Amino acid sequence: MQTIFDLQNVSHSYLDKFEALKDINITMTAGEQITVLGANGSGKSTLLLILDALIYATSGEVYAFGKPVTEERFNALEDNEFAQYFRTKVGFVFQNPDVQLFSSTVFDEIAFGPLQLGLPNDEVKKRTEEVISMMELSSLRDRAPHTLSGGEKKKVCIASILSINPDVLLLDEPTGGLDPRSQLWLIELLQDLAKAGKTIITATHDLDIVEQISTRAIVFGEDHTIKADSNCDTVMNNLELLMSANLIHKHMHRHGKLMHEHLHSPDGEHHHEQ
Amino acid sequence: MIPDWMNATEAGPYQGAASLAKKKGFAKKTVDGVLAFFQESLISETFAKRKGLLQSLDPRVKLISMLVLIVGVTLMRSPWVLLIIYLLTLGLAYFSKIEVLWFVKRVWVFIPIFAGVIVIPMLFNVFLAGNVLVPIATLGNGSHLGPIALPSSIYITQQGTTYVVTFILRVAACVSLAILLFLTTQRDLLFKSLRTLQVPKVYVLTINMCYRYIFLLLDTIADLFTARRSRQIVSLPLREEQKWVGGRVGYMLVKSLDMSDKVHQAMISRGFDGDVKLMHVNVMRHRDYAAIVTVLACCVILGLISQSLISI
Repeated sequence: MQTIFDLQNVSHSYLDKFEALKDINITMTAGEQITVLGANGSGKSTLLLILDALIYATSGEVYAFGKPVTEERFNALEDNEFAQYFRTKVGFVFQNPDVQLFSSTVFDEIAFGPLQLGLPNDEVKKRTEEVISMMELSSLRDRAPHTLSGGEKKKVCIASILSINPDVLLLDEPTGGLDPRSQLWLIELLQDLAKAGKTIITATHDLDIVEQISTRAIVFGEDHTIKADSNCDTVMNNLELLMSANLIHKHMHRHGKLMHEHLHSPDGEHHHEQ
Repeated sequence: MIPDWMNATEAGPYQGAASLAKKKGFAKKTVDGVLAFFQESLISETFAKRKGLLQSLDPRVKLISMLVLIVGVTLMRSPWVLLIIYLLTLGLAYFSKIEVLWFVKRVWVFIPIFAGVIVIPMLFNVFLAGNVLVPIATLGNGSHLGPIALPSSIYITQQGTTYVVTFILRVAACVSLAILLFLTTQRDLLFKSLRTLQVPKVYVLTINMCYRYIFLLLDTIADLFTARRSRQIVSLPLREEQKWVGGRVGYMLVKSLDMSDKVHQAMISRGFDGDVKLMHVNVMRHRDYAAIVTVLACCVILGLISQSLISI
C-alpha cells in the first residue's frame, strides 16, 4: 500500500508557547480509515491542519505522497505543481461550517474547489450538479449559507469537498452539532466512501462512531503525545487507556462488541432489550 | 459535589410588584435592530427572485445601465426632467413586481439623511441670495452669528427652493436606480457582474465574502446581546454599559480576525492560490441588448437636454 502521510518526530506549538503536538510518529497508507481520538485540546485539530499543509511542524518532518511538506514548498507564488497535486488529492472538512462556507450560494460553494483547480467551466458545472444531486441538496442549490440549518451546512461542507474528488478526506469533529438522523446519514456516507477506496482520517471524541467509520484508532493524551495507535477493537476495549486520555468517565460504560438497541429512560435507568 | 448554598431552592409564585418598562434597554434595541436587518434583507432577496421586468435582464446589463443612468441624472439641471425620471423609476419598480409604496418609503428613508441635512441651508438667503419666497426673521443691520455676518432679514428664496427641490429629486432618482439594481439582482450575480467593469477578481470575491460574513457576525452580536439580557438582573450605570459594549466590540474584532484566518485556510485547502477563479454563467439575450441600447439612447437624450442642445 502506498504511504500517504509519514510524520517523523513532529511537534507543533502555537506562538512558540502553547504546545499542541509533541514528538508524533505516524504513517498513514492509502485506503485506510483512521480515527484520531483525544479530549478537547489534545492536538487532534492541529494534526489535521498539519496533514492538510495549512500549518507546519515546528520540529520534525512531514511527508505527503513521498514528498516533504514544508512552508516554502506550499507558499511559493510560482506555479507549484506539487501543491496543486496535493490540494486535488486531500480534502478537509472543517469543524466549524461557517469557516468553510464563504460563497454566496450553495452552488458556488460546491463549485469553488473544482474552479480553483482549473477545471473547465462545463466540467465544473457538471460535477457540481452531480454532487448536488448525490447529496440531495437540490432544494438548497441557490440558498445563501447563512440561511441553512446546522445539518444542512455540514452537508454542504462535505459536498464542497467531494466535488474536488479527493482521495484523502480529513474530517474534524464531523458529527459535532448534528442530530441523530444526520449523524447516521454521515456514517453511511463515510462507509460508502471507504468502500470506494478513499482514505478517511477523522478527528473526534465521539466514541460511538469510531468503530463504524474506521478500522484504526490513534489516541492522543492530554500531554499532546500519542498514547495508542492500533486497530479500533483493541483501542476501544482498553478502558484504562480511554480513561487516561479523558475520553470516558467512570460512570460511562461500553458493551464490548455486543450490538443491541436500547433506550435510556427518563428515570436514568439503562434498559436493554432481552 | 455541589456547595451548600446551591442546595437551597425557592420555587413559588412571585409576591412582589412588577413594573412595566417605559423604554427598551440598549441590549434589546440592538437585538431588535439586528433582527430587523435580517428581516429586511430576507424581504429584499425575495424581490430578486420574482419574474419582473428588471429581473429578466442580465445583471451585467443592469449594472452598466444603472450606472450610465445615474451619470445621466447627475448631469440634469431641470427639476421637471428629474421628476419624470423619478416617476419612471416608480414605473420600473411596478413592472419589476416591487410594491411601489414600499419602494417609495425605502428610498425616502435615505433622502433626509443623505440629502436633506446637506442641502436645507441652501433654502435661505444666508447661503444663496435670491428673491423672497417666505420671510423668516428680521435681524437688523450688523447681525453676526459668531464670525459670520448675517443679512438684515432672513428668508427662504425662490432660487434656493428650486435648487433644493432639484437636488433632492436628483438624489431620489439616483437612490431609486441604485435600490432597483440591488433589489432586482441576486447579490452573488450582482457582485460577479462587477467583473464586467474590470473590477479585479480579488475585490469581487472580497465584497462577496464581506456580504456573507456580515450576517454571521451580526448573528453573533445578536447572540451576545441576548445572552447578556438573559443574565442581567439589575440595570447597570451607563458607564458600565458603555464599558461592556466596548469590550464586545474588541471581542468581535478578535473573533473576526480569527475567523478570517480560518476562512483563508479553508480556501487554501480547496486549491485557492491567490488567483481567484469565478464561474461566468450569464448569457446575453436579445432583451439585454435592447435594454442597453434603450438606456444608452435615454442617456444621450438626457445629455443633450442638460447641455440645452434640445429642449422639452
